[in-house]
Amino acid sequence: MPVVEIPVEKWNGQVHQVKLGGVGGRKELIVGGDNTLPFLKFEGTVPHRPAIAIEVLDYTPPNWAEPLVKAWGDVLKSPVAWAKKAAEYGANAIALRLRSAHPEEGNTGAEHAKRVVTDILGAVDLPVIVLGPEVAEKDNEVLVAASEAGRGQRLALGDCFDKNYRTIGATCLADGHVAIAKTPIDMNLAKQLNILLSDLGLTMDSILMDPTTGALGYGLEYTYSVMERLRITALMGDKMTAMPMICTVGEESWRQKESKASAGVPATWGDQEKRAIIWEKLTAMGLLNAGANIIVLRHPKTVEDVKVAINKLFA
Amino acid sequence: MPEITFQPGGKSVVVPEGTLLLDAAAKAGILIDTPCGAQGRCGRCVVRVESGEVSHRENPHLSPKQLQEGWVLACVARIKNDLVLGVPPRKEREKVVEERAGTKTAASVQCDWPRYPALRQVFLELPPPSLDDAFTDVDRLQRVLSKEHSIERLYIELPLLQRLAQTLRQSKWQVTLTLDMYDRGGEARLIDIQPGKTEGPLFAIAVDIGTTNVVMDLVDIRSGRTIERVSTRNKQISRGEDVISRIVYSEKGGLAELQRLVVEAINDLLKELSQKHNFDTKQVYQMVTASNTTMTHLFLGLPPRSIREEPYVPTASRFPVVTAAQVGVNINPLASIYCLPAVAAYVGGDITSGVLASCLFKTDKLTLFMDVGTNGEIVLGTSEWMTTCACSAGPAFEGAGVRNGMRATTGAIEEVRINSKTLEPTLEVIGGVLPRGICGSGMITALAEMLVTGVIDRSGRIKAPYVQEVMGESSRVRRGDHGAEYVLAWAAESDSGQDIVLTEVDINNLIRTKAAIYAGMAVMARNLGINLTDIEEVLIGGAFGQHIDIEEAIQIGLLPDLPWERFKFLGNTSLWGAYNVLLSKHARDKVEEIAGKMTYMELITDNSFMNELMAAMFLPHTDIDQFPTVKAALEKVGAAKTS
Repeated sequence: MPVVEIPVEKWNGQVHQVKLGGVGGRKELIVGGDNTLPFLKFEGTVPHRPAIAIEVLDYTPPNWAEPLVKAWGDVLKSPVAWAKKAAEYGANAIALRLRSAHPEEGNTGAEHAKRVVTDILGAVDLPVIVLGPEVAEKDNEVLVAASEAGRGQRLALGDCFDKNYRTIGATCLADGHVAIAKTPIDMNLAKQLNILLSDLGLTMDSILMDPTTGALGYGLEYTYSVMERLRITALMGDKMTAMPMICTVGEESWRQKESKASAGVPATWGDQEKRAIIWEKLTAMGLLNAGANIIVLRHPKTVEDVKVAINKLFA
Repeated sequence: MPEITFQPGGKSVVVPEGTLLLDAAAKAGILIDTPCGAQGRCGRCVVRVESGEVSHRENPHLSPKQLQEGWVLACVARIKNDLVLGVPPRKEREKVVEERAGTKTAASVQCDWPRYPALRQVFLELPPPSLDDAFTDVDRLQRVLSKEHSIERLYIELPLLQRLAQTLRQSKWQVTLTLDMYDRGGEARLIDIQPGKTEGPLFAIAVDIGTTNVVMDLVDIRSGRTIERVSTRNKQISRGEDVISRIVYSEKGGLAELQRLVVEAINDLLKELSQKHNFDTKQVYQMVTASNTTMTHLFLGLPPRSIREEPYVPTASRFPVVTAAQVGVNINPLASIYCLPAVAAYVGGDITSGVLASCLFKTDKLTLFMDVGTNGEIVLGTSEWMTTCACSAGPAFEGAGVRNGMRATTGAIEEVRINSKTLEPTLEVIGGVLPRGICGSGMITALAEMLVTGVIDRSGRIKAPYVQEVMGESSRVRRGDHGAEYVLAWAAESDSGQDIVLTEVDINNLIRTKAAIYAGMAVMARNLGINLTDIEEVLIGGAFGQHIDIEEAIQIGLLPDLPWERFKFLGNTSLWGAYNVLLSKHARDKVEEIAGKMTYMELITDNSFMNELMAAMFLPHTDIDQFPTVKAALEKVGAAKTS
């Protein structure tokens, strides 16, 4: 029987490497550096496995789905305890969402943000990603405070939108952090924001991009397609699409009724907990295959299973 | 140290070698304007080296011939040894700039049509009838026409027939006939009959019915001259800014109103012309219109609904010749109105007219013709093949949808230079008066200058903190009703006594407009397997004023990054084509042929169009490698654009 060689694509480009943490005893997380499509080790080099960050909120989430509340229990009342627990569950990073700064969720300000960030940095030695409430003015307020609180710790700060990238980009530049550029599922918009941030002075190793996650059944295929195109363009040599990608899988997946509904749904939907975790896992695995470098998850069981899957894909 | 002498005047200064000419001039007390902030961008500081040497890096603002003649830019040239410099008055220096910018100025293109108008006037002396010669009045006319003008068949409509007997007898059988000649000249339709011999101009009008503006040329068919060009807003604009919203309005029972509104605009222009030149509009005997398919439908009162619905099929693309009375245009009621043929729902008679006027149909070169109006239409091809597409650009370059936008008439800012050090603008205003607003060409330069000087970022957002930092108290950037805005002219410097601004919303509209046009070009070229850089000639017609700055149009990514000499700016080609048709039936035959020959490419159904559009909605483009000269320019001024 003739031996068929596996066809190998030769790419010119490479995903930029971005480092989080790694300063003052904090663990280091490096993502990116691949010069091939996800998991294709036979084709090129994939120096760093995709990382898993666990999402921690800066207040007790008022309406999280029952399976999440059950899994985390009392730590949901304390961001610090929650982050410590997340570290135990094997997170590579903590993704702290400053949700309480949202005008409709408490409207906390810079002081609160500063305190929570300082506490978390003190409690865990993992790299920290700080995300704002996604309201432009409030993002500017709390992220600048978070940036100052974590000066020199190489946090990732997000999200920079096209409307407010200048404030957050500048604060990242000043305090030595990584900026997360978020754009609405469009390859050109993603590239444009990367260009704007680098025009601002941020180097290629200081930008992560969030192409906006669509959960399973809610635009996953759009996200997948845009991420795949971004990655292929980067591998073809375009440096402005070669930023590592971060996806907020947990948030999007647990937002959907398939994850939230416990009653009044068809019996064929089955057990809520099982269903919701599958939803999060499928979304995560899809996007890992599309080229995600960091995925932010919510449920410990998802974290465990996705880790196993990643390890198998790397075996 | 070298000694520098300035002429005229003979002032001299001694400065170290390597000093900029500009600095030496300042030391001698001679002020040379540098609207761009002494960056070698605007070319306004030209001086002439009469003797001596300077080091001068090449600059696109000077042609090889001008360099040969000793012209240099005072802001880039440095002193090498003793020099005598000529600093001519400002007017003369402007001329040097203009000469180099020759490609930017509207070039008139002549395709050398034989003069053979469809509209003719003939004077006849008829033998009076007698018992021996008892032919009817009509037969009598026909007999003489046939004998003297080889017109074998004359069509007479009832109103003229009713007054024929009286006119012939009162004029003692000496009359002037105004005729609309049919195809081969052997047949004609009578438009008017006047007693005696009519002299003076034989009026006809060419009309460009744009979605935003209506432009009219009053033409004397006898001399072939355009007497005057006038323009006004299309009154339909109060019922929607683009063709789609007009179509929607027509569907809600507004068709008759839209038809009336556009005719009113035409009649207003006729009135303006008749008062100015003292003639009766009933003496205008022919009208040719060039307009997009929707405008033609609305003008003729045809329901345009199907134009906006898949599969985008209009009622007609070739239109019957109608009489003025049928549509309500205030010229001679029997005058014929010919609407130039369209290609498809979104490529209309304005484009076939443009292809006719630009002589694209007989070139060997791979040529891109673009008409920038509310819809941007593009034609790519040679004499042998032509492909066309339309992109919905929006009316920004025509001055609509932009806060202080206006047409390119007196009082319009047509050029903006921003000093990269002070961020202060210098304005050129049409007619040299105080500005009233800004026209398309002004917007292009404003956008390019704001980008290059770092007033805006590549997404078109105003960098307020940076401008504040540079300008301090007197900052021209502020927060207005529609977000951030840049003040081009303060109230005290404007005609209206109000600030003239460019807002972020305006900038966004402009970027959308230019992106639609560029994306259309990119998609069409790719579908044909052509690289945009292979295009040998770019012919630009449309809404801009008398000139467009090619360099800056490239900087904002409206035009592809090609050598400047490949661009030719043709002005209003839609109107120019209609004018050709008035004067030559050969041109009319040709435009019918062109309409049948063009291949239409539908962008709406092209998957890659949206992607190209998003990519182009950036300055100059998301993929800057498509714009190598702009990339270089931006890198050069990189220092100015940090936040």
